[in-house]
Amino acid sequence: MLLNNKKVNIFSLIVGIIILIFLPRFISGYWVRVITTIFMFAVVSQGMNIMYGYMGYLPFGNIMFFGIGAYITAIGMSRGLSFLAVLPLSALTAIFFSIIFGFPMLKIRGHYFAIATIGINGALMAVVQNTTEITGGAMGTTLPIINKPPEVTNNYFYFGMLALMLITTLVIYLVTKSKFGFGIRSIKANEEAANSMGINTTYHKVTAWAISSLFTSIAGALYAYWMSFIGPTEVFSTVFAVNVIVIMLIGGAGYVLGPIIGAFVVSLLSEVVWSAFLEYHLAVLGITMIIILFFVPKGIAGAVTDFIKNRELRLRKKVSV
Amino acid sequence: MGENNIILNIKSLSKHFGALKAVDEVSFEVKRGEILGLIGPNGAGKTTITNLVTGTYLKNSGSIVFEGAEISNLQSYQIARKGLTRTFQVVKPLIGMSVEENILVGSLYGRDNRNTDMKNASKRTGEIIKLVGLERKKDFLVSDITLPDLKKMEFARVLAMEPKVLFLDEVMAGLNPTEVEETSILVKRIRKEKELTIVFIEHIMKAVMGISDRIVVLHHGRKITGGTPQEVVNSPAVIEAYLGKRYAKEVNNEG
Amino acid sequence: MILQMITNAFLVGGIYALMGIGFSLQWGISGIINLSYGAMVILGAYISLECFNIFQIDPFVSMIISGAILFVIGAIIYRRLLQPLLKGGIIFTLILTFAVRLIVENITLKVWSANYRNLTLSYTGSNFQIGDVFFPLTKVLVFLIAIVLIYLTYLFMTNTKTGKGIQAVALDTEGAQAVGIDVEKMYLINFAFGTALAGVTGSLWASIYNFSPHLINAITGKVFIIAILGGLGNIWGAAVGGLFLGIAETAGLVFFGAEWQEAIGLVIMVGILIWRPYGLIGKKFFG
Repeated sequence: MLLNNKKVNIFSLIVGIIILIFLPRFISGYWVRVITTIFMFAVVSQGMNIMYGYMGYLPFGNIMFFGIGAYITAIGMSRGLSFLAVLPLSALTAIFFSIIFGFPMLKIRGHYFAIATIGINGALMAVVQNTTEITGGAMGTTLPIINKPPEVTNNYFYFGMLALMLITTLVIYLVTKSKFGFGIRSIKANEEAANSMGINTTYHKVTAWAISSLFTSIAGALYAYWMSFIGPTEVFSTVFAVNVIVIMLIGGAGYVLGPIIGAFVVSLLSEVVWSAFLEYHLAVLGITMIIILFFVPKGIAGAVTDFIKNRELRLRKKVSV
Repeated sequence: MGENNIILNIKSLSKHFGALKAVDEVSFEVKRGEILGLIGPNGAGKTTITNLVTGTYLKNSGSIVFEGAEISNLQSYQIARKGLTRTFQVVKPLIGMSVEENILVGSLYGRDNRNTDMKNASKRTGEIIKLVGLERKKDFLVSDITLPDLKKMEFARVLAMEPKVLFLDEVMAGLNPTEVEETSILVKRIRKEKELTIVFIEHIMKAVMGISDRIVVLHHGRKITGGTPQEVVNSPAVIEAYLGKRYAKEVNNEG
Repeated sequence: MILQMITNAFLVGGIYALMGIGFSLQWGISGIINLSYGAMVILGAYISLECFNIFQIDPFVSMIISGAILFVIGAIIYRRLLQPLLKGGIIFTLILTFAVRLIVENITLKVWSANYRNLTLSYTGSNFQIGDVFFPLTKVLVFLIAIVLIYLTYLFMTNTKTGKGIQAVALDTEGAQAVGIDVEKMYLINFAFGTALAGVTGSLWASIYNFSPHLINAITGKVFIIAILGGLGNIWGAAVGGLFLGIAETAGLVFFGAEWQEAIGLVIMVGILIWRPYGLIGKKFFG
């Protein structure tokens, strides 16, 4: 937790959640959709966070699970299945892939793993683009449109993504406090030492990736249902992957609230940048990344945590003197 | 009952890296409850044997039998869970975590993967921290403590794993004479209290002579002799190669 | 038909090899996975475009200018951006070089737009023929120049003081330091050299293909494959890797069609990463 006072923490969290629940009543449909997207980015970023922030393995191409979730949902629903029926299917497919790829890939060193995931993501995108009969190919595919007024739809997905974000964050929080969480963190800290201490690192790595793929794919599934139309370059997009990484870094990798903070900050900044710098958004993204790495490598959550710890240390010193 | 007495049996163990024979047909036994000193100059193969026994390296030939079962084909973590573990010559702290967290990880995992219960693990961690004297530093990040404390922490970490056999790889490197003395006392005490078997790799002769029950001497990957400290000290080959007449005389005078 | 395929494969393999060597050197020796490499190649292409349009300089001449400019750019990037952050680990350098790529991509998009450009030289389009096989003149020139440059790179690495310094650092950093070699300087020169090769390759590319910022992804993907296939830091390995990719792409084009090309390339790359992280050639050239 950011602050050391547990009661303050829980209180502010509850306040925050209540605000988020009542927010749609006070803002326009456009902003409801923007914030829904923020929640979605937070979830995907959380998936990245457990792998990189806590375990030290960066799955650059992690959005492949987003794409898998989106496409299984799209294909399933256009064949008449309900969303609740395809959802577990999407998630299981993603988990299946994370295990199949995970076992061979997580045995190799971290940076090779990062690149290999880019490769698989690209390959999946190409496969989708070329199997036009099933997936609609490069043109994309549609899902059944929801026959409800826009406000209802907006709210439906707002609360859906909010719930997903809260559940994901809770799970990550519980994991990091658990024995399994210590195992993961030990892998990041010193993998050789972790092995010598009796930690089955392969099992931990594969399981962590399965958890990551689970939430990422559900986000993709919801997204597909929401948009009613998806395309391969969109859901398997490298720029999307980069955005997720930037969000994780700005918010703070290795901190539970990092992805949420990052998602809000980046999305709101983007809104500003888009309107002011439309043609330069790539460069702005790049410059932002460089600035973060140089000046705020621990992200906002990290900087705040350090600040509070330092303040406590200074207070302690004063008291003891 | 010889079988039960020998907890670790290494037979004709060999490991080569290309043309270099790091370990060449080495055989020795480790008796339950003893402190076995493993000495030899740099490059003799001591750390290589440790790596082989704990699963970091794969052997080329020979066998490693721990409590009656062959372990040379197992992975590191499996061997650790059986109760055989080690410290590192160059300490390997879990960076980014505190002293207490490091030891906690050892307590959570380790032998038989015990202590799934965080509460139990925390309690044991607290006990061990007291035992090695790291209480005041337990919340420090490992990047913020000195080398002697890092060594203590790594020692505490392996103890938290509740091992049966512990390979201590040059725990005294970089310590001053007072710290060496303290560590010697600690090792003997731990052996008694925790009913451990210890394989003690060290260069500091005084320490090795002082605490080992028996000693095995390696040179160029081969075992050249083994026996009690007195026997080893008086062995002509060993005296000539390593100990030098001065140490031989010193120990003889004390003994 | 087969002979034409083989010819095409070799001709494209040459430029691929040259391209891959720069990236491979940066990764294998300087330890930087340079995700901006593709952008650097494209930048080289655009430099030659401007030299041609404004000064009518032939790309085979302006490649020297590209190389020089990209050398400086590479040096600045390494010294100012990468060196200070090396302590952050490889992930940091991945993100950092990707950020540089975004910036360069944006600049090229803004200045030259996303439209595909090409250079039409007076001799573009002329072929010569041996039997049934056509040899496009420009592609042959590119191939020959690529071979020469690869050989010159090899000579540089093995026969010059700097090159040997780089080799020494790659083999044993501490040992190199002990004999008085400025290790950081070697890493810097190596990296800048790699970027220079990217620039040169870009100029050569411009003389035979069309180009646009959209190609950055594809080119980055290709150099990855070439470097991994050949083993990091291994010059001749990358050469073979380039050839291999040329063959795979040509064959893939014939047998599977253009759409599957990228997918096949990626699958090959992932396969190699999983099963042989040292590449097809085996151990790194520089240990």
